[in-house]
Amino acid sequence: MHNEIVMAGFGGQGVLLIGKMLAYAGMNAGNEVTWMPSYGPEMRGGTCNCTVVLSDHPIGSPISKRPHALIALNLPSLDKFEDAVRPGGIIVVNTSLINRLPKRTDVTVVPVPANEIAVEVGTAKAANMVALGAFLGASGLVDQKGVESVLVEAFPNRQKLIELNEKALRRGFEIGQGHAAAVAAG
Amino acid sequence: MPSVIIDKDRCKGCELCVYACPEDVLAMSDEINAKGYFVPIVAHPENCTGCRYCLLVCPDVAIQVENKGKVTKPPESLTGKPFSYCPGCTHGVIHRLIAEVMDELGIQERTVGIAPVGCSVLAYEFFACDMQEASHGRAMAVATGIKRGRPDLTVFTYQGDGDLASIGMAETVHAANRGEKITVIFVNNAIYGMTGGQMAPTTLPGQVASTCPTGRDVTLTGYPIRVVELLKSLRTPAYLARVTVTDPKNVLAAKKAIRKAFKYQLEGTCFSLVEVLSTCPIGWGETPHDACGWLQENMVPYYPLGEVKVPEEATVQAGS
Amino acid sequence: MAKKLMKGCEAIGEAAIHAGCRLFFGYPITPQNEIPEYMSARLPQVGGTFVQAESEVAASNMLYGAAGAGCRVFTSSSSPGISLMQEGLSYIAAAELPVVVVNIMRGGPGLGGILPSQSDYFQATKGGGHGDYRLLVLAPSTVQEAADLVIDAFDLADEYRNPVMILGDGLIGQMMEPVEFKKEIKPEDLPEKPWATTGRAGRQQNIINSLYLDPEQLEAHNWDLHRKYQRMAKEVRYEAFNTDGGCDVLIVAYGTVARITKTAIDMAREKGLKIGLFRPITLYPYPTEALVQTAEGAKSVLVSELSTGQMVEDVRAAIAGRRPVGFYGRVGGMVMGPDELVEQAEKLVAVHV
Repeated sequence: MHNEIVMAGFGGQGVLLIGKMLAYAGMNAGNEVTWMPSYGPEMRGGTCNCTVVLSDHPIGSPISKRPHALIALNLPSLDKFEDAVRPGGIIVVNTSLINRLPKRTDVTVVPVPANEIAVEVGTAKAANMVALGAFLGASGLVDQKGVESVLVEAFPNRQKLIELNEKALRRGFEIGQGHAAAVAAG
Repeated sequence: MPSVIIDKDRCKGCELCVYACPEDVLAMSDEINAKGYFVPIVAHPENCTGCRYCLLVCPDVAIQVENKGKVTKPPESLTGKPFSYCPGCTHGVIHRLIAEVMDELGIQERTVGIAPVGCSVLAYEFFACDMQEASHGRAMAVATGIKRGRPDLTVFTYQGDGDLASIGMAETVHAANRGEKITVIFVNNAIYGMTGGQMAPTTLPGQVASTCPTGRDVTLTGYPIRVVELLKSLRTPAYLARVTVTDPKNVLAAKKAIRKAFKYQLEGTCFSLVEVLSTCPIGWGETPHDACGWLQENMVPYYPLGEVKVPEEATVQAGS
Repeated sequence: MAKKLMKGCEAIGEAAIHAGCRLFFGYPITPQNEIPEYMSARLPQVGGTFVQAESEVAASNMLYGAAGAGCRVFTSSSSPGISLMQEGLSYIAAAELPVVVVNIMRGGPGLGGILPSQSDYFQATKGGGHGDYRLLVLAPSTVQEAADLVIDAFDLADEYRNPVMILGDGLIGQMMEPVEFKKEIKPEDLPEKPWATTGRAGRQQNIINSLYLDPEQLEAHNWDLHRKYQRMAKEVRYEAFNTDGGCDVLIVAYGTVARITKTAIDMAREKGLKIGLFRPITLYPYPTEALVQTAEGAKSVLVSELSTGQMVEDVRAAIAGRRPVGFYGRVGGMVMGPDELVEQAEKLVAVHV
């Protein structure tokens, strides 16, 4: 098993956080993991991305030119990384902010209205969690429970936030899982 | 009857003792010591009152005074190695005062001194406490490192004007502003002595130096920096004073200020700095005695003496 | 202690605390700000002291003072800041003081950029400041290794009374990986340093100094230092990966580039090309002998760096014409992909068949 996942969005959308959660969950599940942020002036309010690598053997490069999956939270991110995704990979598209679907036909596309769902759940800030959930549901890469357990570390002593984010993750997970099942059923 | 004892081997024949004696006890002789200097003799022992003025101004710890069976001794916080300074340079007086203060406060075994780059670069050979040699301008950074790592130690820096007020000005301002619990002895002689008499940030307007051969032109180089007044604009420093050592009375006042600067550190009060106006007879092209006069006439008006900042709670009298 | 996911910079800071270091002096510069930030929060929790210095020049001299007073002490910076620290480092090396300096390299020269680079190799391994001296230089390629090497760095610094540099790059500093801290040294358990300026109670005066006006004394001091650097040769560390039974191309790379090489090795295997990796972990002392031996099993050698060619000079001197030595570098913050390394290796094989 070797997976390279790129998460990208606006600064402030919580891209780095979901990357860390994925890395943590991967580590807790016994995998080798790396988390690599984009850094620089873009750290402050511009576009932001990070790369998480999960593997069953020691990881070489922590950066990826050909990721297995992309979680795109805004349009510039989809524009930037769509072509890089490997054939057979997954692209999660936040349809709340992205007004087009990927042109690629050789990847699994998971459209998810992450912001709308987040608002329904009770906090607009949890769109990142919805998108992460959708990716986990579609990929089956890390156990959903494993990611939820990481929330406790991400939001120490903030029970309400943990619950809200858990809800967001689950809603995303269901969408992703349903999508994968539909794709599998052809 | 009191008597003056002259260590002829240490003497550099600067004559400052002869001028300091109010009773004409001392006079210069034709005798030349091993270093090639004419040494003073006790010409009129019967006049001696034991006032110790000669001892106070001697830059080479070459004079002791016997009075009522007791003989003064060189401070134990000096190694006893003869100073490397030019004849009549007041660095030696300032060294002695610091050493006396260390003796009196009983802190020699817990003190670390920092020697700078400049004429006093070899200060680590003269002070008997643990010493570190710093690079040019960085003595207060080095002192910060020592004091923050080992707050139980008493830490002082000994720095000249080029070191402290030119290349090390950033370190000076920031150590003062952080309120490092250190004692700084700042020797201002308005010139770069060791490198051969170049202009210093404290060189007076019109004063000739080897890099301002027609005199310091303030339209090109600005005015000399008044360090204690500049630091006074900071809120943090605890004790800032300016003294000089040109004559016995001022030597006593200087010692008082230096003692306070150490005592405040021992009491946990932050940053203390004593600026000592010092002579550079060779660099200025004056005899040691005339250099003292030049300092009083030219430097003191520009660099007024006294305490400019004292710890907030303390009630301290203004300096002499 | 369980594994924790940490940024390289944070792991470096925590490792210093595990090494019994309770003092940090530094000045902010990207991309290593997480180290001073981490230390400013963490040191007070363990009774330590963090000082944000007014400049890197001052920070390096604060290190001098603290190390001279017998304290374990460290600083971190990035390339332009390390240049400013060269004054202090030269004095520290001359006065034989143990300090640890972390350089999270960024692109230069001048202000350069803030992205990963390995262009300070010469500065790190050939002295850096004025005078005849060397730092012991360690180059981690994973976050775990960075943490382990920081702890070792303090011991090595004390053993040789010499500055030790951890030479990383922006990738190592910014990346998160699982870390485990295997040892915890308490400051009070560290051996006494009888040469330090700790107050002269019960002993002779100690002086920390680098001034030798007598040329004979200075010459003796210079040769003493030189002999010390020769003794350090026994500290060489390296990793040889996929080199058993020889290889078509031996890539010599350190730090981040070595990681990328490992990915390239997998990619090349699918193409029937065998790439081996020789990864120096100590850049000074350089593992010359081990490199020569490993290169004997390779048809050709490819040095890859995030520079226009610095370490390659040491490799060429070691190989001394016995194998063709190629070079591939990316600079300015650009990082090569594994595919580029495979392509370069293939080219080298085609030329030297």
